[in-house]
Amino acid sequence: MVAIIDYGMGNVASVQKALNHLNVESAITANHALIKAAEYILLPGVGSFMQGMKNLKERGLDTLLTEEVMHKKKNFMGICLGMQMIMQQGTEPELNLGLGWIEGSVEKFNMPELRIPHMGWNEINVINDTYYKAVENKDFYFIHSYHVVPLDPQVIAATVNYGSNVVASIQKDNIFAMQFHPEKSQVSGLTVLKAYFS
Amino acid sequence: MVGNPVQAARVYNSRGVDELVFLDIFASEQKRKLNLKIVAEIIKECYMPVAIGGGISSIDDINNLLKIGADKVVIKTMALSDIKFVKEAVHFFGGQCICIAVDAYRGSEGYLVYNKLGKNILLRDFIKSIEDCEVGELVLTSVDNDGMREGFDLELINEVCRTTRIPVIAVGGGGNMQHYNDLFSKTPIEAVGSASIFHFTQFTPLDIKKEIASLGRPVRL
Repeated sequence: MVAIIDYGMGNVASVQKALNHLNVESAITANHALIKAAEYILLPGVGSFMQGMKNLKERGLDTLLTEEVMHKKKNFMGICLGMQMIMQQGTEPELNLGLGWIEGSVEKFNMPELRIPHMGWNEINVINDTYYKAVENKDFYFIHSYHVVPLDPQVIAATVNYGSNVVASIQKDNIFAMQFHPEKSQVSGLTVLKAYFS
Repeated sequence: MVGNPVQAARVYNSRGVDELVFLDIFASEQKRKLNLKIVAEIIKECYMPVAIGGGISSIDDINNLLKIGADKVVIKTMALSDIKFVKEAVHFFGGQCICIAVDAYRGSEGYLVYNKLGKNILLRDFIKSIEDCEVGELVLTSVDNDGMREGFDLELINEVCRTTRIPVIAVGGGGNMQHYNDLFSKTPIEAVGSASIFHFTQFTPLDIKKEIASLGRPVRL
């Protein structure tokens, strides 16, 4: 069972819809007991880093998730904001602390000729194909103004080119995260979700 | 809108459109909200991004839509009557969920923003105010060309692309492949929105994508 974390930030319904399509059982919840009992934790998110962290803290989810993922090594998937918040710190709208599971920060796209946010379909370059093996068309849907900058290049599972090569996906031990929205990336996205949850 | 929106969404999803924009264009005027039940059913059909608009005037409205699966919301009327609301929405949800729709038409001294508030608003000024809010996207509709299927207003699109760094979706005028060829070869636009061409002609989204690809512009096939 996948616990889709409900912390008042965005598109939990689409994520669940995608999992339903794959016959993967899930529950949208902020209930600590339910989260502890779940086999997987999925942290989605649309919105600002600061607001996201605030909402997690208010529900005691920052400490709970850290306990479940970092200490109990539960399988974790982070999507979009859910990938950004696992970093040590973010800068949206100003400098503030993340969950701190991956060393590094979250930075805003900052090239003069680039339109911000990075919004639309883009092709990823897979570096670690553990969960990308079955994906044929590597176009995924991105929608973000900030991107993660991990200190350790070994955790980078995929990059995407927007201005320069930025991190599109991270994989480290029980943590798997992506900047794009698999639930919005039609067949390709569903393939990645299926690879992780089955 | 022609026909059943849920059915239309199903077809668009199967045809691999990159994104769906659903707008209830009379909501603001009729002082009512979107029918969330229908919106939820439309979103259920879609495994690609969906932007929803129509009568959005509060943070709650936006939250309700995001909760049922909308990826972005489209705001038009409130952007004209209360720009502070747009700033508030961006602060709360992040700019990537907030899309501003603007209807532009040719005035004697340049492009103006079509509005029902009786105001004379220069497009250039409006775009500047929107950019200050750091919204994620601008849906730019040419009032003169919309629904006519006689081509896009290239001058309008070029002017707006020059004026702003926000991603712009050009809407209004697509009727045959030459129109899209002109659009993507004569302007730096990176996204186009169409509807009439799919309802009233035999062209499909894939036809348009292939046309764009033939120009060497990146597009998902």
